[in-house]
Amino acid sequence: MAHSETELTISEAYERDNDRALKFLKPRFHEEKFPMTQILGYIGSLILTFAAYFLVINRVLPSIALLAVILTLAVMQGALQLGVFMHVREGRGLAWQLIPLYLVFLIALGMVGMSVWIMLFKSGVS
Amino acid sequence: MSSVPLAEERDQKLPVEFADEKESINITGFWTFLVTDVLIFASLFSTYAVMHKAAALGPTSVQLFKMGPVMLETLLLLTSSFTIGLGVYAMRRGQVRALMLWMVLTMLLGAGFVSSEINDFISFAHIGATWHTSAFLSAFDILVGTHGAHVTFGIFWALTLLFQLKKRGITARTARKVYTFSLYWHFLDIVWIFIFTFVYLNGKIVP
Repeated sequence: MAHSETELTISEAYERDNDRALKFLKPRFHEEKFPMTQILGYIGSLILTFAAYFLVINRVLPSIALLAVILTLAVMQGALQLGVFMHVREGRGLAWQLIPLYLVFLIALGMVGMSVWIMLFKSGVS
Repeated sequence: MSSVPLAEERDQKLPVEFADEKESINITGFWTFLVTDVLIFASLFSTYAVMHKAAALGPTSVQLFKMGPVMLETLLLLTSSFTIGLGVYAMRRGQVRALMLWMVLTMLLGAGFVSSEINDFISFAHIGATWHTSAFLSAFDILVGTHGAHVTFGIFWALTLLFQLKKRGITARTARKVYTFSLYWHFLDIVWIFIFTFVYLNGKIVP
């Protein structure tokens, strides 16, 4: 499609591409008369924390499954903090912070995940 | 969170910390700093994951960790994250006294967290579990210690912001500083949740 549109001027191309490609960076603001989102976020974070705690203390699952469940709860809690308290989608013009954030989550997941993965090979390393 | 239609969004005014263009760029810059901080903590978490079982002659994580103080620290930090969230909410409504009150409360909760954590480390040292003891304890101390150092720094940062708010009130500049401080504080809360899960709870799971 881009090849057939060689007649575009530089500014026309800029306007079009910005509109289409950067839609996912469009900021979203949230305003309330009463800080209900914050209160619900706080209650939610407490529930997630105590859920993980009681799951581990009562040992309801085998170890690997238990670790997977509590890590999922932690990721949910992190997403809650980012969304409710850190206003991750707010910005002036475009929410540019989302791009490096996505990238660093990928890198962090790779670093920690691969470190854990390589330690599963008991014979090679000690 | 509900998404607002585009037409209404045009009418809605930008919050005070985004009202000035340069200050908004500073907020984006602060997000970039947090991204690099994620990398620091990711490498420390990786180190801990590798060293977790290497307890040598020292105590293992199951023997060492006491969940009581850890739950207290978690509660203090979660609550402080909530109070600074309410602080930013008050700031956007122009209530400087409420903002300062929430910030003082946040600092007190943070100080409670740090003192409980220092107490933990002292009690570990009493039973001979220091960072010389084993690879597990080296990795543990550097990960949890780096987080604790961040929180300690945050408390002093909040103190400087209180003076600025007292003198200048809520301007585009002070609002941006408070907003970036709140980002920093919530970020530390997220890191703590992962320490709580991946270090303390995981350390209590017997394979």
